[in-house]
Amino acid sequence: MSKHFFNSDPGLDLRETTRRQFFGKCAMGLGGIALASMLSEQNMFGGETIKLVNPLHPKPGNSPAKTKNIIYLFMAGGPSQLDLFDYKPKLNEYNGQPIPDSYLKGKRFAFMDTFAKNPPKLLGSKRKFSRRGQSGAWVSELFPHTATIVDDISLVHSCATDVFNHAPAKLFMNTGSVQFGRPSMGAWVTYGIGSESKNLPGFVVLLSGPRGPRGGAVNWASGFLPTSYQGVPLRGQGEPILNLSNPQGVSDKRQRQTIDAIRDLNLKRLVETGDEEIRTRISAYEMAYRMQSSAPELIDLSSETKATKDLYGIKEGEPSFARNCLLARRLIERGSRFVQLYHTNWDSHGGPGEDLEKSFEKITREVDQSSAALVKDLKQRGLLEDTLVIWGGEFGRTPMGEVREQTGRNHHIDSFTMWFAGGGVKAGQVLGQTDELGFSPVEDRCHVHDIHATILHLLGLEHTKLTFRFQGRDFRLTDVHGELITKLIA
Amino acid sequence: MNFRATIFIFCALTTPVWGGDAVDYTKEIKPILSGICYQCHSETQQKHGLRLDTAAYALKGGQSGPAIVPGKSDESLLIKAVSGTAKDLARMPFKKTPLDDEKITLLKRWIDQGAKSPADEKAESVLHWAFVPCPAVVPVPDVKQKSWLHTPIDNFILARMEKANITPSPEADRITLIRRVFLDLTGLPPTISEVDAFVNDKSGDAYEKLVERLLASQHYGERWGRHWLDAARYADSNGYSIDSPRQIWKYRDWVIDALNRDMPFDQFTIEQIAGDMLPHATLSQKVATGFHRNTQINQEGGIDKEQFRVESIIDRVNTTATTWLGLTVGCAQCHDHKFDPITQKEYYQFFAFLNNQEEPELTVAAPLELANQAALKKQIDRTENDLKKYANSLTNEIVTWQKSLTPEQVAKLKTEITTVLETPPDKRNLTQKLALLDVVRHDDPTYKNRRAMLTSLEKKRPNFVTTMVMEERKKPRETFLFIKGDFTRHGDPVKPGVPKILQPLPANATNANRLDLARWLVDPENPLTARVTMNRIWMRYFASGIVETENDFGTQGSGPTHPELLDWLANEFVKQKWSQKAMHRLIVTSATYRQSSRARPELANIDPYNKLLARQNRFRLDAEIVRDVELAASGLLSRKIGGPSVFPPIPDGVMNLGQSKHEWKVSEGEDRYRRGIYTFFYRATPPPELMVFDEPESTSACTRRMRSNTPLQSLTLLNDDGFLEFAQGLALRLMKEVPQSDDQRITRAFQLCLSREPKPDEHTRVKELLAQQLQSYSSESEAKSILQKKIPAGADVKQLAAWTTVSRVLLNLDETITRE
Repeated sequence: MSKHFFNSDPGLDLRETTRRQFFGKCAMGLGGIALASMLSEQNMFGGETIKLVNPLHPKPGNSPAKTKNIIYLFMAGGPSQLDLFDYKPKLNEYNGQPIPDSYLKGKRFAFMDTFAKNPPKLLGSKRKFSRRGQSGAWVSELFPHTATIVDDISLVHSCATDVFNHAPAKLFMNTGSVQFGRPSMGAWVTYGIGSESKNLPGFVVLLSGPRGPRGGAVNWASGFLPTSYQGVPLRGQGEPILNLSNPQGVSDKRQRQTIDAIRDLNLKRLVETGDEEIRTRISAYEMAYRMQSSAPELIDLSSETKATKDLYGIKEGEPSFARNCLLARRLIERGSRFVQLYHTNWDSHGGPGEDLEKSFEKITREVDQSSAALVKDLKQRGLLEDTLVIWGGEFGRTPMGEVREQTGRNHHIDSFTMWFAGGGVKAGQVLGQTDELGFSPVEDRCHVHDIHATILHLLGLEHTKLTFRFQGRDFRLTDVHGELITKLIA
Repeated sequence: MNFRATIFIFCALTTPVWGGDAVDYTKEIKPILSGICYQCHSETQQKHGLRLDTAAYALKGGQSGPAIVPGKSDESLLIKAVSGTAKDLARMPFKKTPLDDEKITLLKRWIDQGAKSPADEKAESVLHWAFVPCPAVVPVPDVKQKSWLHTPIDNFILARMEKANITPSPEADRITLIRRVFLDLTGLPPTISEVDAFVNDKSGDAYEKLVERLLASQHYGERWGRHWLDAARYADSNGYSIDSPRQIWKYRDWVIDALNRDMPFDQFTIEQIAGDMLPHATLSQKVATGFHRNTQINQEGGIDKEQFRVESIIDRVNTTATTWLGLTVGCAQCHDHKFDPITQKEYYQFFAFLNNQEEPELTVAAPLELANQAALKKQIDRTENDLKKYANSLTNEIVTWQKSLTPEQVAKLKTEITTVLETPPDKRNLTQKLALLDVVRHDDPTYKNRRAMLTSLEKKRPNFVTTMVMEERKKPRETFLFIKGDFTRHGDPVKPGVPKILQPLPANATNANRLDLARWLVDPENPLTARVTMNRIWMRYFASGIVETENDFGTQGSGPTHPELLDWLANEFVKQKWSQKAMHRLIVTSATYRQSSRARPELANIDPYNKLLARQNRFRLDAEIVRDVELAASGLLSRKIGGPSVFPPIPDGVMNLGQSKHEWKVSEGEDRYRRGIYTFFYRATPPPELMVFDEPESTSACTRRMRSNTPLQSLTLLNDDGFLEFAQGLALRLMKEVPQSDDQRITRAFQLCLSREPKPDEHTRVKELLAQQLQSYSSESEAKSILQKKIPAGADVKQLAAWTTVSRVLLNLDETITRE
């Protein structure tokens, strides 16, 4: 059933080729020919070509594209926009006062059961803010590096989502639905336009921070789309992709001999059964083999200059968000379509290790320099126009504080800040205003569905037309919603 | 100028010429209306109060007045609506492709000619086929090539083929056939001796006898149980963020056992939906209700518990509808279903059946065992109490003793004792107090006796397994319609009820409950359950169902390719008293099933998707079976059935991908080599080697797995340590079992992986690989480096290494992981 996703070439009469060339030569050994064929990719069997098939073969979208790739910096846990970007002097003024009931009416929050005992009080930000760049965007002292790229990005203060618990909100931000079993954005994108890379996965996930993101694999799942489109986690330590290295003690030559023998026997079966799925399998083994040499090259940072590594703030041999940012650039350079970085833990409730004080300062340090470096690096290499960079969490934090051991804020879905940079995005603007307490947007509300519609649009995918029929219905990333955020588009 | 525009001008120019031809309402107009308008404007739905399924209804019109004004197409709302020129009315059909100009012109002409229609026109029942009960008798069609027939199924399939002038494929060769039926019925390949016995059995019913053996195999329950567990979204953890482990494997074993006993499907259904509510429910019937406890549990801090309780009920409603009815009712959670006749109110009536239970954990023990456990607990409590009193009476003595201790004496004490001494006397628990008494009163026989008694009693404390079950509440919860699906916005209260489009509940079912729902699902009057179930069983054998959209039997699904066959199978299923084994027997003994799966180029254009089944289909094995087949070939497979889930080796770092880093302690002994169905499944960090082969995520009901074909699968089979262990296992087995010659070993290797012998050119190719490998090892240590630790003493290491490579090749073949 997955056949029509594959760009196969039924015109090629592989069978005849094989009968004539392959089994005639078997006795003298096909290994040599096959090895030579690897060098010229698909040129096997005495100069005749066998067309390999690739489910992620790049294809045009359904509308003109403004950019080609995505790097999505997912700030897992929900960063406090009020201590980073959304400057609210009034909130500081009302610090400690109970929030007027009118704000809370009809709203729901995490830990709401504690509200009766401890009515939520407004919490001003301790952080100093200043206007930065030509655009004059407010940025807090915790993001000195990000402050230097404000003229390259669109800061959106009016992002909004529907759900206020972590795992469901992450699912929603990634799949546009709180129901399980839907494809994630990266799966939709690679389904829609494939990937340029023949040697690396089209949709790659990188993780950093003390723990993985809540929900784990569902965040990069392919749902009802074929698994070819699911995100492949690139590992921080050891081999970059699971089972990428040859088994212990197996030399590259021996691995090639093994794959050659597999291919030859598979080819014979293809000839006998006429099942095109075997051609796909042969292709998969060839791509696997190529991946084996491309992926180690990808993570080998020795070809990067010290200046580049310093720009990102990479410490040698240490898995980190900074290293992942550089890897993201390298993946995009090598043709991967959708790279998603998760960094934990932004969940600043005020508990131990989760406060808006020392813990917050630590995590802001972990991401500030490298996020900014990524934009700068892409820009100086001329890659930024082909790459959409997104920064943001699954939701933001409340203007009210929480009563815990230290300062913290609760989950907030009505408004939070994300930033967008690069291909097709207006540079140097602040979009969307929130009210004086930073509780709700007063203009340009950008709901998750709108964000999804806009991202797809930038990639040349009209969101209402990117559909997949499942259970008798045409499903979309944006469900039945989504309006383009035209002000975000350059 | 585009084509449509051309036609339009053509029509516009020629209309006057055609003007005199009378438009035939029945032949020309009605098909347009039924194809485009009936969905929202007929018997089942009347959007805007309008019906268009008879001309009289159209004349009568809806909330905006008559749809047609005879003789005046310009004034007719119908024409304005389809042309998009009506004020305050969207262009019709709403948000769908507009009518082409040809059709609009035809409609106009019909109206201008007076909108004539037969006087006796009656609204046809437009009931969608799947909601119409199966006919009581489905005639088995007659065919020409009678010699081909094995079971009535073949009549239906052959009749279609004969109509299309296609002949069936020949029967698959015996080896392909035995491997196919083994994999389909048990998920394991046949052993070499089983293949030989079948090939050499010349009796006329050799195949039928084989089928009987397989249906009686305990592995049948594992194979078909796994399909069912996909729908049940079974997993071993709670999901969402924390994803803690849970204990519900007793339910998994219940499924396997029920299938092995061929529990009739109606009973199988009733016990899983409402086993706890059956009179004198047995332990097993309670365990069965685990079906709907496989929903996820959100353990995240700060959640609204009611929200996630509601989420789980919604999942149960959707799962029930998908699994038994083949319907997607999820849309009706927020609004009336757009395409199928299911209203939002009906959704919540269905919800009400499932909104009324507690969700406890059940201790899996017989009543007598539980009574013993209770008695034992009493005894332990009594002994503990005695000891507590005794210890308390000696508090002062202990304090005095403690004070008397010199630093040297303290230094000699065990650390556990010194820790107790650091705890203030009034804060010490019983264990701590006893630890001190063990030192101070070690020569007190009364104390020592009681102490020994407690220890021995505690050893007897049984370690019962628990499992998650449903338990109906005495007082029902009130259920409301949730406005726009939002559980905080209550609409009208609703009572349990079933969708109107399906058969009603029995008349005597007042205050209907979950048990009534269960019985309703498997009521022979239900037009969906038997069809949906048979269609899925069919799908497992032919890769696609008779209805391709196996999880959508609604109006948006694809129609059946062989509607009469589907009805006949559904009827037969009920007639066979819902025996699944009977239906399996019927299918796998059919000539249709036994055909060769070889592609037929001459049919590539006539039937590219093989819908007529003029051959079998060839498809990749399911995730667990890929591993099971390799385990079997390696000789390492454990055939143990059931028990707690196991932890075969997984790559390092896999458990770091979720929020919580759960432990994965690799199982020892045979549990390392159990079938894939028993691998412990954490939802947030699932086993990669299964996921890469399209294992469902177990977060919602999965009734059909994808079959992808990716480089990550290749990397897994090539490089994963687990699979390498199987390759070495196979190599060792070959060397041990076939000491004679390389040629015989090659033959055996093919037999173990593919059930067949190699063809001469295959043999040559593998022999060449073997020679290449043997030559290329310069030293024994080089050969050793590819092998895993378990190398038997005295083994020829170079040979073993070379054969391991050969084994890797065979275990990576497409054919090895395919059922042909």
